[in-house]
Amino acid sequence: MRFIPNTAPIRREMLEAIGVSDFEELIAAIPGGVRFRGELEIPGPLSESELLERVSALASRNRDLAGFKPLVGAGAYRHFVSRVVSALLSREEFYTAYTPYQPELSQGTLQAVFEYQSFLARLTGMEVVIPSIYDGASAAAEAVLMALRLSKKNRVLVSAALHPHYRSTIETYTAPHRTELVEIPCSGGLTDRARLEEALGEETAAVVVQSPNFFGAVESVDELAAPARDHPALFIQAVAESLSLGLLRAPGEMGVDILAGEAQSLGMELNFGGPYNGYLGARKKYLRQLPGRIVGETEDRDGKRCFVMTARAREQDIRREKATSCICTNHGLHILASAIHLALLGTEGLYRTALVNTRAAHYLEEKLVGTGKFERVFDCPFFNEFTLRSLAPMDEVRKKLLDGGFIPPLGLGSYLGEEELAGTALFAVTEIFSRADLDRVTELLGK
Amino acid sequence: MKLIFEKSHPGREGYSLPADGFEEIPLDRCIPEELRGKKRELVEVSEVEVVRHYTRLSKLNYGIEDGLYPLGSCTMKYNPKVGEYLAGLERFVHAHPFSPPELVQGTLELIYELGELLGRITGMEAYTLAPAAGAHGELAGVLIIRKYFEDRGEERTRMLVPDSAHGTNPASSAMAGYRVVELKSNDQGTIDLGELEKAMDSGTAGLMLTNPNTAGMFDPRIDRIAEIVHGRGGLLYYDGANLNATLGILRPGDCGFDVVHLNLHKTFGTPHGGGGPGAGPVGVKEFLRPYLPSPVVEFDGEKYRLRDPGEKSIGMIRSFVANFSVLVKAYAWILSLGPGGLREAAEAAVVNANYLLAKLKDYYRPSYGGFCAHECVLTGRDFKKHGIKTLDIAKRLMDYGYHPPTIYFPHFKPYAEETLMVEPPESEGREVIDDFIAAMIKIAAEAEKDPDLLLEAPGATPIRRTDDVLAVRRPVLHYDDELKLKEEG
Repeated sequence: MRFIPNTAPIRREMLEAIGVSDFEELIAAIPGGVRFRGELEIPGPLSESELLERVSALASRNRDLAGFKPLVGAGAYRHFVSRVVSALLSREEFYTAYTPYQPELSQGTLQAVFEYQSFLARLTGMEVVIPSIYDGASAAAEAVLMALRLSKKNRVLVSAALHPHYRSTIETYTAPHRTELVEIPCSGGLTDRARLEEALGEETAAVVVQSPNFFGAVESVDELAAPARDHPALFIQAVAESLSLGLLRAPGEMGVDILAGEAQSLGMELNFGGPYNGYLGARKKYLRQLPGRIVGETEDRDGKRCFVMTARAREQDIRREKATSCICTNHGLHILASAIHLALLGTEGLYRTALVNTRAAHYLEEKLVGTGKFERVFDCPFFNEFTLRSLAPMDEVRKKLLDGGFIPPLGLGSYLGEEELAGTALFAVTEIFSRADLDRVTELLGK
Repeated sequence: MKLIFEKSHPGREGYSLPADGFEEIPLDRCIPEELRGKKRELVEVSEVEVVRHYTRLSKLNYGIEDGLYPLGSCTMKYNPKVGEYLAGLERFVHAHPFSPPELVQGTLELIYELGELLGRITGMEAYTLAPAAGAHGELAGVLIIRKYFEDRGEERTRMLVPDSAHGTNPASSAMAGYRVVELKSNDQGTIDLGELEKAMDSGTAGLMLTNPNTAGMFDPRIDRIAEIVHGRGGLLYYDGANLNATLGILRPGDCGFDVVHLNLHKTFGTPHGGGGPGAGPVGVKEFLRPYLPSPVVEFDGEKYRLRDPGEKSIGMIRSFVANFSVLVKAYAWILSLGPGGLREAAEAAVVNANYLLAKLKDYYRPSYGGFCAHECVLTGRDFKKHGIKTLDIAKRLMDYGYHPPTIYFPHFKPYAEETLMVEPPESEGREVIDDFIAAMIKIAAEAEKDPDLLLEAPGATPIRRTDDVLAVRRPVLHYDDELKLKEEG
């Protein structure tokens, strides 16, 4: 077997050196009754060429998705990722390494993580950044658990415009703690501030609001955070489209206590939903309650600047059942992907990419409304996603777009099962769409 | 090395955008000014500088292709290049998770098939591939157990976890709302049946067990353990961190385990990524299938689609479906080896570890006697008299060009002290292991004759030992913290 260097004769010599006559002696401790005696019923072994053929054949049962530009986002966005990112990520020193427990052999990973924490601190305006939780949804759930620990209360208000996956993940994570989750309804596509104020009570641990929210609308985060602060309840902002931070106000400047973000838009391909990378931002005073790993700067014995994993007394390998979370392996390589992506974009590139996104999205939205086949559902500002009501049946919209080579928007009526959203669709437009693409979409749907 | 921020120069750029920026659309019409923030200052560097910066950083790392990486319980085996290639196929990479199912039949089929393969390898009846990592799988698995008992109206509030378990076991149980009861290991490093008999009662949900365990020992009484746990109405959880030793030899499903999590980034050859992403699939017996997290992939004989498993499901544990690109690599690894190759891998790993143990046990007294599984736990406890700790041995290994083994884990008295947990996986050949053994023997001699060599180690690495206390006392967690520190002098 090409991944196993020791041949049968070598193995015999090794067994001899161990002092046994055959392999069975080494595993004699395993009770015979539970041993597996047959041959596993799995295919293979395949040669590398057979493997390439077999898996490529599977891939070809997908449509040619490189050519299908998605008009859907809803938490996963197709942005352009430079070949620089994949080329650097494919360096074995990065992708085959373990978690950087031995800093003398891991300064590459550790410095990259520190740089990412630095980028994210500036992007979000948060004082501390945990660079990797599995994804945005689990980051949001961890943020809620953290708020429960900090407040010692057990009621959480959740905006109805929070991504349903984030909402469901929060439900799953809090179920054992019997946390009361209260939904704050929306009004005109935005979280209803008056209803939020009504719902805030002494037992409220936290408020969770996504911005831009699931419908694409940009919330007035500071206006929602203010009543929470007065109560006091912790204010958690979720961000599913982190590119929006290149243009919108920083959460740290709007009274956000804990930020739960999804970094997929910052250098990760779609990959059918994962792996992506979540992150958390928080006030520095909450550091001890944060889950997950963080890197800090220090010095080596010669006084040289270097980086280590720090504030470790929160983690499972040290604190066991008293840890802030069970998270161990996270999505470390994607920290690096985002660090490289952000370094390439830089100050101007990030801003301009965000600008193109919002302008291109507005271009399509206006064009579609202009056809007379679509109506606005909400009248609120949006970044690169928007909700429209189709006057034609959604199936027809879907079919036209698929035939034209576009992945259709998410039909909210059937997806959310809400009658008042029947016939509405959540569109996403990113910088990968040219004007010609968007004109073509308009033409397909305007007929 | 300089930070990327210290290489920034005004006006340099590393990106390119299409010329048409839809500039005729006024920004105010998109986002009103009060919702807009100030321009974020990142860096200004050209593409070539970015490439050089991260290439140089990579050279400060140590990867599996640089040499032996014998981290115990981490299974740092070779990650086949073909897996990386296949995970990068464009039709996989550009699949949007909200694509209509007819566009992504290949993706769905791979997820479904991998679940089937894992079921056959482990003897479990239903799989979810949603969990993003081992500990995420543990959390999902324990939540499944919790929901099951809740449905049955049984009040079970405690979970048993051996002292040799990974920290993730007690942490996952606590996250799932259980009170953790720690089971003391016996003098063989395995479950003390008397302790288990005492602890396993009608208020206890079950036992989380790693087998072989972190002491590198197969539990010889696994049949009796299952009897005790099931006899009191509990469920048996299998932590698959050490599954590599058992492929084709022992299937957790045949041993009475009800819930299993696997680490695709350990046993199944997918890379660790410097801390992930991995994947932590969870397998269950048929009676727990309805509790699997949402969504599951379903096959009706013709088409594949995503489905919500219904009322009993624990719900979602993440967004979307799975860590798909990791699944591709694991699928490729399994098919490359086939049934015979999987068994050969397990046997080769076990032989490697016992060979290393046999050659080193006179120098580094093992925690326990007897043969080990795929990893062995040695100790540095006999070097204390020379003022040498296991940490010093680990750092000295770096000077010989090795990544050190896992140290100070497992860690419990009286056997597992000053531990070095060494795992030489099947992808390591005898010469590599022999060289490592020689280095370890040399270090043992140095520890007696010239302990300063160890105390001053490492010297051959990009940096020397780090001041971890300073990092905690004076937290500098991003570049602006550093700038502020400099300002304050």
